Order: sequence, then structure tokens, then C-alpha cells
Amino acid sequence: MMNLPQPKRLWDWLLERLELGPILYFAQNKEVPVHQYSFWYYMGGIILVLLIGQVLSGMLLMVYYIPEIRSAHASILALNSQIDFGWFVRSLHSWGANLMVLFLFAHLFSTYFMKAYRPPRELTWLSGMLLLGLGFGFGFTGYLLPWDSTSFFATKIGLDITAKVPLIGEPMAYILRGGADISQNTISRFFTIHVMLLPLLLLPVLGLHLWIIQAHGMSEPKQGPTAYPSPEEKYEKFFPTFIFKDFMAWVVVLGALAILVALRPWGVGPEADPFAPAPIGIKPEWYFLSMFQFLKLLPPKIGPLEGELVGILFFGLLGLILALIPFFDTGASESRSKAATGFGIFLLAGLIIFTIWGLFS
Amino acid sequence: MNYPVWVVPYLGGSWVIGIMAIIHIFVSHFAVGGGIFIAFTEQLAYSRQDDRIYDYLKRHSLFFLLVTTVIGAVTGPGIWWVIALVSPPGTAFLIQNFTWFWSLEYLAFAAEITTFFVYYYTWNRISKEQHLQLAWLYFGISVSTLIIINGIITFMLTPGNWLTSHNIFEGFFNPTYWPSVLLRLLIMFGLAGMYALITSSRIRDDEAFRTYMLRYSAKWLLPIFFLGPLAGLWYFSNIPQAAIDTIFTGIHASGVGNFSVLARAVYLAMILSGAVIIFAFVGPYLNPKGFSFKAALIFLFFGLMVTGISEWSREMLRKPYVIYGYMYSNGILRDQIENINRIGFLRASKWALASTPTIPEPATMPSATGQGELIFRYQCMSCHTQTGYRSMKRLLLDRDRDAILALLDILHETDPKKNPYIGIMPPLAGTREEMSALADYLATINHPQKRI
Repeated sequence: MMNLPQPKRLWDWLLERLELGPILYFAQNKEVPVHQYSFWYYMGGIILVLLIGQVLSGMLLMVYYIPEIRSAHASILALNSQIDFGWFVRSLHSWGANLMVLFLFAHLFSTYFMKAYRPPRELTWLSGMLLLGLGFGFGFTGYLLPWDSTSFFATKIGLDITAKVPLIGEPMAYILRGGADISQNTISRFFTIHVMLLPLLLLPVLGLHLWIIQAHGMSEPKQGPTAYPSPEEKYEKFFPTFIFKDFMAWVVVLGALAILVALRPWGVGPEADPFAPAPIGIKPEWYFLSMFQFLKLLPPKIGPLEGELVGILFFGLLGLILALIPFFDTGASESRSKAATGFGIFLLAGLIIFTIWGLFS
Repeated sequence: MNYPVWVVPYLGGSWVIGIMAIIHIFVSHFAVGGGIFIAFTEQLAYSRQDDRIYDYLKRHSLFFLLVTTVIGAVTGPGIWWVIALVSPPGTAFLIQNFTWFWSLEYLAFAAEITTFFVYYYTWNRISKEQHLQLAWLYFGISVSTLIIINGIITFMLTPGNWLTSHNIFEGFFNPTYWPSVLLRLLIMFGLAGMYALITSSRIRDDEAFRTYMLRYSAKWLLPIFFLGPLAGLWYFSNIPQAAIDTIFTGIHASGVGNFSVLARAVYLAMILSGAVIIFAFVGPYLNPKGFSFKAALIFLFFGLMVTGISEWSREMLRKPYVIYGYMYSNGILRDQIENINRIGFLRASKWALASTPTIPEPATMPSATGQGELIFRYQCMSCHTQTGYRSMKRLLLDRDRDAILALLDILHETDPKKNPYIGIMPPLAGTREEMSALADYLATINHPQKRI
């Protein structure tokens, strides 16, 4: 008779085989700082839960979605109107993506203003920036796939802007399009990037990001002892205290997602017609709207350069400063710290103002 | 049609009722469920002779008193004002047919308020035994308000044998009376627990007692967790099949179409109910220390949302009727349609007739759009607005007058095979000329320059 592990002893058996002891020890001793900004610690967990939802709903959508130019739009229509709960899964995916980007922004700016990028957390910051970029990549590539009028022209505008990037812009746009124009090749490439390439890139970067966070622990804002409710409650256990609170936050966000899905199911516009004029007032998704609005305001020529090119170079510069901020504001200089805070406020205000302007223009 | 019409631009009269009624539901369900909670909790304090529970109850009962009497006193009469203005035929019908039940309800309501004022006033002024008796008295009176009003509310969806016998007791004890009593009691227990979590989360300086009260309050959600699905099934098995069909047609088509909103509301109520239960378990029960006042507020918000959506869904299930199978939501009786189609809506409408003296002679009417607008106000505005909620501007899109008339011809049919809207909209009532006048008016909503 085989010597199978008994259910009662299964846990111990697994502990021994998988050498989980150190991990359990770590989990039992992991602590989370308690202070007036602790609320922002929930952002990362919320993004992770939304990401899991995106993976699951995305897999279900792949069962019915056809990445083919004559069938893509019809398959989305079928999902919305013929397949039981197809509309539900698609709306979960679309609204989930938007919520995820919203929480990515909240996570980015909360960690920024809590100065969580300072040494030794430079790599946490950089990997987070990379994850944000990947999030935008998911949004941009996924937006085209329904192949409706809005998604077609928004993608066209997005790729035209990409082509303006000096040196690499035009070849990059050409590769993404799979030719000179948006076509079947573009759908195939965007689909492959969306469901294969980006997830493959995401996994190691996300793994690195999470691992560094565990290695360094959660960053504490340097606000002094008054930031804590009481000196003896400076930390709380990650298991179970924080994780249960985290769980409540996930339930709230998933509840909000359900409200959006049920009250505003994600629709689909008329099928894309590459030969038709672009719809009047076409806009990209809200998270690209601030950049879009800013570019719209620029004159055709600024000195010898094209206005859009100047805009793209300006965004590139902002992104570079943001990425390199841990090396500028290391915590050693008060003036640099204030400058970094000022830059963050400038960036956040610009993002909010231009997004709202874009929405109402 | 026999009363003046109240035009609420953009929002529509139905939403004015909806907002007022939903807020009132939040408070009235707390008034009953909270009363049950107070009675049981005071019994617990008495059995254990635990002054900490007494102290908690005293604070909780002040919160209860303020919420139920202030908000309840505003929204309760508010509902009467609003329903009388938005749906005078329905209101008149309910008052005339349930006169004695309404009277009993008012008596019970007055007794309920008085008892609770006495209950709060007598804290530490009478013996604990007497105070406990007051708690149980309030419990009995508050439940009786539910027992009475439930008969009238459920009658509107499931009048049952009343439709043929016109026996008011058959209408009162209608097919959904008992399932609804059970379902509402379960909801009331849940809401009582959620409100109690608010006050329990404010307990300070005694962590052990705070934990005890949070867990105790969270347990009040257990009845709806275990019995809610069964009570729901019992309730749904007694409502009209046509109403059930409206939900199921939305399963695959909820992403498109206008008929899916009820289905989506039902799904949302189910999802949020699940969220509330999970929240109660991982929050106040498993992690009372981490369950803050803010978390309790968010939790209550979700619970109230479930309650509000469920109530709204129940109202939607009744469409296109205000009294199922008897009176349509625009106040026209089902049995009147044939007669109105023969003699004309405006001729059959006492108030419309009185307010527009030129109408009796169709040949001499100065404005077809004027008649059309009057018909629109009486037959459509109980659910639609021109430019706001369920906007005609959006629903009509680019249809011209002839296309609108063709649509009205379909809506005029009483045969479900010829009119697919029959399950969700009352058939239009009136003569062909009146439909033509209505089309004239509707055509001006998206094209105001064509107005005559």
C-alpha cells in the first residue's frame, strides 16, 4: 500500500516538501506601518485584484473574440447581444481596465508624495513606472480590438502621434500597424501584443516589484510621531489584521466595478470603416486625454520644429524626470525634496486640468 | 386623466417618488429592524446584567431616535405629497379601497413614535424590567406597521383574486403577502445590524466590549444570508410570469436594448448582497480591531444600495401597471382602453376636457400639437420626459413624423403579438386622430422648428 499523506498531515507534508517555513516565518512577522496616510497602502493590492480580474475576464473573452478584420466587430456584437452574460464579462473587462488605470495613477502619486521612491527603493519605483507603461500598453492595444469606428480612429491618431517620435517613431508605428495603414495586420499584432507579449513582460516585472516590496518592507512617510494614532500602535500585523482590511477594500472596489458594469454596460459603436471620415470630436480613452488635449493646443510649428513633436519631446522629458526622481531626491537635501514635491504637484495638476479640459472640449 | 398633471422636467415624476421612497425605505426598515435589535439587545443586557450593553444601547437609541423620527418624518409625508401629485388615480384608488388599513397604519405609526420617545426618555428613570417591557412594546408596534403596509404594497404587484372578487381582504392577503413579510423582516434584521455596526464601531476605551458588539451586530446579517435566497425564491414564485420573463430576457441582451435594466438591477442586487456578506465576515467578524467607523459607513452604503436597488426592481417588476392587471402606470384602467379607443382619450378625460374647451370638436381644434402634448403628458410622462430621464429626444432619435406615427400605431395595439412593448409599456389609448396629434407633437421634440 502506498504511503500517501493523510489530510491532517498534508499541511506539514507540504511545508516540508516545499520548504515553506521561511516564507511562513516572514508572513507571520511582516508588519505594516500605521499612520494617517495608511489608506494609500491599499492601492497596490487593489490593482493586483483588478489585474487578476482582467486576466480571468480576458480569457473568457478570448473564447468568443475573433481577431479577424471581417469578424472582430461581429464577434463583439455577438458577445454583447447573443451570448449569455457576454455583455457582463466584456463590461467587467472594459470597466476593470479603466478602474485599474485609475488606481495605477492613485498608486503612483501616493507613493510619489509619500517619498516612497527614496533609497533603497529606487528599483521599486522604476519597476512601478514600467508597470504603469505596460498598463498603458494594455489599454492602447486592447482599445482597437472591438474594431468599431471610435477605436479605429483613436488608434489611428495614437499611432500617428507615435510616428512623430524622433528616429524610432516612424519605424515603430510601421511595425505596430504592420504596414502603412491600419489593417488586418494591425489587429493581429495588437491582439498578439495584448494577450501574449504584454502579459509575458508583465509577469517578471510584477514579480520583481512585489519581491522588492517584501524585501524592503512598506515605506513610511517621514512625518514624525504625530502622524501615528498612538506610539504603541505604530505597526500592525500584515496577517491577519492588514490583509483582512485589504480584503474589505477589494470587496468595495469589486462592488464599485459591479455597479459600473450593471448600470453602464460597455457598448460597441458602428463597425470601423477605414475610408469614412473620422467621427467629429473623437477622443482617446480618458487616461490619454490630458496628453491629447495638450497636443491639440500646440501650434503647427514651434520654431523650426513641428508643434506635436515639441509636445512629444516635452512628455518624454516629464516621463524621464519622473523615472529618475529617486536619484534626484534621495532624502539628503530638503531643497531637492521640496523641488520633487513641486514637480509632482505640477504633474498631477496638469493631468487633472488637461483631462477635465479634454472631457469638456 | 381625471386629475391635473404634474410635470417634472428632466427628472420625471417617477424619480421624485423613487428618491423619496427609497430614502424612506432606508429609514422605515431601520425603524422596524432597529426596534427588534433594541428589544433583543436590551433583553441580552438584562439577562447578563451588563451595564456596558445598557450604556451602548442608550447611545444607540439616541442615534435611532434621531434617524427614524427626523428623516422618517420628512420622507413619510413627503411620499404622500409626491404620489398624490405624480399618480393621483393610483393614490386615490389605494386610499378609497384600503381606508381602514391606512387608518390602522396611522394609529400604529403614532403609537410607534410615541412609544419610542417614551422609551428614550425613560432611560434610568424607570426600572430595568419596565424599560425592557417598553422595548418589547416598541418591537410589537413597529412590526405591526410592517404587517399592515406590506399588504398594500404587495397588493399593487400581486392583487391576486381581488381582480375578480374585489374582496379587499383577498387583495390584502395576496399571493406575495407572506413571502414579502419574511423577506422584509430579513432585510430589516440585516439593516439593523449594519446601523448597529456604525454605533458599535464608535465604542472607545474597551476593546473587548467593542469586539463583542461588532461581532454581535455582524451576526444580524446571518438570517438574510441563510434564509434570504429561500425567501427570495418563495417571493419570485408568486409574482406574475410576465414579470419574471422580463428579467430573463435580459440575461443575454443586457449589453444592448432598453428592456434589460431590470435584469441588470437584479444581478447588481445579487452581487452586492454577496459583497455585503463577505464584507461582514472579513470585516467586523474576523477583524473587529481593523473595522473602523469609516469602514462601517462604507458597509452601510453598500447595504443601503442593495436595499434601494431591490426596492427599485420590485417597482419595475410591476411595469406597465401601477396595480398589476388593473390600472396602468399612467392611471388608465385596463378595462377602459377599448372605450377610450372608441370615443377618444381627450373626450374620456374629465380634467383634460375641462382644461381644454376646444377639444370636444376635433374638426375645429386649432392645434394638433397642443392635443398631442396633452396626450403625451397624461399617457407618457408617468415614465418618460422630453429631454431627461427615459428621454423621448433620445428614444425617438431621427424618426420623422411618419416614422413616429408608425411606432405609435404599434404601441396602440393591445395584442402582444402585434405590440412587443406590451409587457413593459401600457398600450396607447385614443383614436387614430389622437395618435396622429401625438405624432405631430413628438416630431417637434427633436425638431422644434416644426412646431405649429
